[in-house]
Amino acid sequence: MSRIVQGMDIKEVLKTVREANGYYITNTARDMSQSDFKNRILLHTDLMAAKAREKAGYFSLEITGGASVHVDILRKQVDPFLKLKLLRDAMPNTMFQTLCRGVNLFGYRPYPQNVIRFTVKEFAKYVDVWRVFDFMNYIPNMQAVFEEVQLAGKILEPCICFSTGPEHTDEYYVSKVKEILAVTGEDIVLCIKNHGGLGTPKRIGDLVSSIKDKYPDLVLHYHGHNTDGNDVGRITSAVLAGAEIVDAGDHSFCGFYGPPPILTVAQTLKEYGKVAVTLDEEAVIESSDVIRDERPHYELFESQFKGFLPTVQIHKLPGGAMGSSLEQADKGGFLAKMPDILHKELPKVQKELGNYWSVTPGSQILWTTAVSNVQGGDRYGNPSGDLRNLLLGKYGPFPFYQPPEWIFEKVLGSDWKQVLKDEGGVEDIADMDIDKERETLEDRLGRKPSEQDLVLYLQHPNDAVEFFKFEEKFGKAHVLPPSIFLKQGGFQLGEEISFTDCYGKEHLISIGPSQKDEDGGTSIFLNVDHNVRNYQMTPPVIEGAGPAAVEMTKDEVEDLAKVGDMRAPFNANICEVSVEVGDTVSSGDKLAVLEAMKMQTPVVAEIDGVIQTIVAKVGDALKTGDKIMKVSDGSEEDDE
Amino acid sequence: MKKKILVANRGEIACRIIRAIQELGHTAVAIYETPDNGALHIRVADEAIWLGDGPRVDYLDIERIMQVAKRYDIDAIHPGYGFLAENPGLPKACVENDIIFIGPNSEVISNLGNKVMARKIMAGAKIPMVPGTDNLADDEDAAVAEAIVFGEKYGYPIMLKATAGGGGRGIRQVDRPEDVQEQFQIARAEAIAAFASGDIYIEKVVVQPKHVEVQIIADSTGETVHLGTRDCSIQRRNQKLVEIAPSLIPDQGLLDEICETAVRAAKAANYENAGTVEFLIDKDMNYYFMEINTRVQVEHTVTEMVTGIDIVRTQIKLALGKTLLFKQEDVQIRGYAIEMRINAEDPQNDFMPEGGKTVNVYRSPGGYGVRLDGFVYQGYTIPEVYDSLLVKLTVHGYSWNETVDRLRRCLNNYVISGLKTTIPYYIQLVNEPQFQSGDFDTSYIEQHPELADYRDDVSEVNKIAALIAEIHHEKMNPYAI
Repeated sequence: MSRIVQGMDIKEVLKTVREANGYYITNTARDMSQSDFKNRILLHTDLMAAKAREKAGYFSLEITGGASVHVDILRKQVDPFLKLKLLRDAMPNTMFQTLCRGVNLFGYRPYPQNVIRFTVKEFAKYVDVWRVFDFMNYIPNMQAVFEEVQLAGKILEPCICFSTGPEHTDEYYVSKVKEILAVTGEDIVLCIKNHGGLGTPKRIGDLVSSIKDKYPDLVLHYHGHNTDGNDVGRITSAVLAGAEIVDAGDHSFCGFYGPPPILTVAQTLKEYGKVAVTLDEEAVIESSDVIRDERPHYELFESQFKGFLPTVQIHKLPGGAMGSSLEQADKGGFLAKMPDILHKELPKVQKELGNYWSVTPGSQILWTTAVSNVQGGDRYGNPSGDLRNLLLGKYGPFPFYQPPEWIFEKVLGSDWKQVLKDEGGVEDIADMDIDKERETLEDRLGRKPSEQDLVLYLQHPNDAVEFFKFEEKFGKAHVLPPSIFLKQGGFQLGEEISFTDCYGKEHLISIGPSQKDEDGGTSIFLNVDHNVRNYQMTPPVIEGAGPAAVEMTKDEVEDLAKVGDMRAPFNANICEVSVEVGDTVSSGDKLAVLEAMKMQTPVVAEIDGVIQTIVAKVGDALKTGDKIMKVSDGSEEDDE
Repeated sequence: MKKKILVANRGEIACRIIRAIQELGHTAVAIYETPDNGALHIRVADEAIWLGDGPRVDYLDIERIMQVAKRYDIDAIHPGYGFLAENPGLPKACVENDIIFIGPNSEVISNLGNKVMARKIMAGAKIPMVPGTDNLADDEDAAVAEAIVFGEKYGYPIMLKATAGGGGRGIRQVDRPEDVQEQFQIARAEAIAAFASGDIYIEKVVVQPKHVEVQIIADSTGETVHLGTRDCSIQRRNQKLVEIAPSLIPDQGLLDEICETAVRAAKAANYENAGTVEFLIDKDMNYYFMEINTRVQVEHTVTEMVTGIDIVRTQIKLALGKTLLFKQEDVQIRGYAIEMRINAEDPQNDFMPEGGKTVNVYRSPGGYGVRLDGFVYQGYTIPEVYDSLLVKLTVHGYSWNETVDRLRRCLNNYVISGLKTTIPYYIQLVNEPQFQSGDFDTSYIEQHPELADYRDDVSEVNKIAALIAEIHHEKMNPYAI
């Protein structure tokens, strides 16, 4: 039988795929959740679909990785490891697939080697297929992950990220495949990662043919997005040209920016005489049917804008970033400027910055820069820390050409050549003292963390701690369906909620009255398993009560920085404090790093001096004008 | 013949006595003060009489109680515990008004209530006692001198005790001679304030003793039997929290000897009806008479569970003229029983009473070997002016381990919300290894401050319910947006 099941080794899998009389499909549930539902599809829904998906006979189910690990703990309040365990119990045969950002793992910037290896080792206990990419197609950035995946005996699926433009030729991509094979050996599946859903069916067909011409035995996995509505066309071309595995999703949850429907792919290719081997079409229909009624509960997280966006061929935003970008524009009040940003500025920035691949974290850099250019007026006048790092080559060398010098000058300053010489090049990140981090985590949690807790903490320190605290307070909330977990507008009086907890016990909660307390708080009465219980809600903080917070302007923050009073220039979290009290610093030295909207920005000294006090600490959420630290040049005494 | 029996008490013990009265086919009459107008005892009784606005005034007013007793043709009065239970004035007034008092006569109560008198009686019967003195001199200097002589002879620490004392008041420990004067002044001041008598006597302190007591019952013919031992060592500031029957001391010969001594003590006091002889046991297993309580005890339930004998029913029958239906050899102890006093108190805030709060939810455990003696119900507001006992949970089991397991299960199944209770503290206690081993003395609670180290209900469903409450209140899930 040509069904591929979990536990097969890579050689067996490759042999089965090569000998199969047809192609395989990967159900990219994770990418669907990320692209069309802002990553909010809950484990509860995936578990509902598990039985039918298991029966459907996929090559694999992509169910973790990308931004999902972060969103699991940040917004879904589920342990990404527990999620995999529970899904494995429900789906013993289907291989699980992840999407790993190479040196950036499941985050937004490079991790130390030992953290990468530790993380891969823990996830490899549950994940069978490892799709690994780097947004610069810079192979060394993926090497540690490659090695750990192969060491764990799992299936390695390195990617060539795909884009369009004069530089993006077949020859270029074939040479990249060669580079990959040189470090991985031949026992891999190669992925063509078309995260934007770019190019025409013909373009993709040509690319597959070129690779197949050179490497006829190489198993190819085509991954695309349906942003322009034509991914079925590209998939068809890819398979006809020889790709053995393609990505698609459950039709009842298909949107605009994620995968196209599995069934449509299968039906289309059948007409060409290509069969999705081992695919059980009835099970595909069944899995869509069992979760269909859940979709309305996710409505809030679907794109504000309905309809396909063929203009993706111009702006090249990846499907996984479409929803969040549109949401940002909506919340930031610059929706009206979107056509300018997407169709004029973004393509311009893309070209200026070297026409690399618009995918995490490179896509965020392009997007943020374009938004900042349009919003601020002064192009590249307000560069993010990540843009700076990009120009310094910290993510790897530019694949085709360097950005023009004026951009370097604008971002790095007039002495940019010297800065580039001093600081440029791929960053050699020192290993982390993992034992020390384990102790820190234990201190923060007040209990011994598991190794998997530690992995999550090393990825996203503050969000992981928040998540563990959430679990301590609210238990295993993944048992709740979206109709409860994502409920908008409150429940009806008397409404009954039933669920099965993580110990398999069924519970019934009915909604009782709410009652205002004397202190302004609210008592919520719930009938929990036939016992009335009272839950106290603290009174809301009334804005304007208490001393009014005066929001500083950016100019004021800059003026204060010139006298050593370092304050947050915008609302951000502190993710690094780079100095200690008593350190001597020079103008331009990095003092701390702020993070906002996934982008890091350094706080640099404006004067020479000594660090006098440090007010902010890692993890603090600062508002514009909040104090970070004080640098003293000796000209004034402490004025506080 | 059907009698009308007035219960001169409130709370759980009033309910307990009313049950026994009704089981015997008599008419139970409750009394109450205004703050108790929502109380259960007046609802379960056949008749209820309002005494006055109280609080804790009318329940203690012998004259007022006699007045209503006569008006309502009361045949007998059961005093319960606390309030008038050990006030010899009540049986005396009963005799004068031709009403039966369910308990010993006023002379017995009076003799045994006076610690010095009680010691004299017991000394005459050669009952082992902690070394002690008669009342100290009225003159302070002379009294202090007596105390210092006593301390030199028997060693410190010594205890200064109010002769009329009880309930932990007027008791001061002295660890060294230079403290005697100061502590004496305090003890005397407390004694005068609490008991209107400044009489103080001394006892040697038995360090970290076990508290073991013997239930006795005597009829009018002088037939006196004991119902075995109880261990009440688990106390907080001299207030019992947990009581166990029988004592877990493995030396059965010693326990038999203590029980026989208790019977001798009761006989020496001409005791009639139910009572309790309390002993202290030191580390070397020497036992000393402490006192005789002339009333039904809070913890009588554990004895009932292990003997099968209804003590309150027996009390009533004896008072109405019956003699004991069973002899000493008929009394068999089967298994173990533990009683926990579930109080409306916050153990995490120095056991601060939670009076004034309303019981939102009340769900009690049940099943084999479980007994509840309580008086609260869903919607009941705990009056602030009385004690904080809500319900006594008593469990019975074949072995000690089985009994502890049952107790743990019952505590875990108990749901009382709207106010804090001692239940979570007790859950900690039943899981504590020293308690489980059965070897503890009166220093136990003090030595285990960690028992108060617990968190609010952490069951999975309540955690998730808390999230649902937030989602409901915020009109969206703040942890998902």
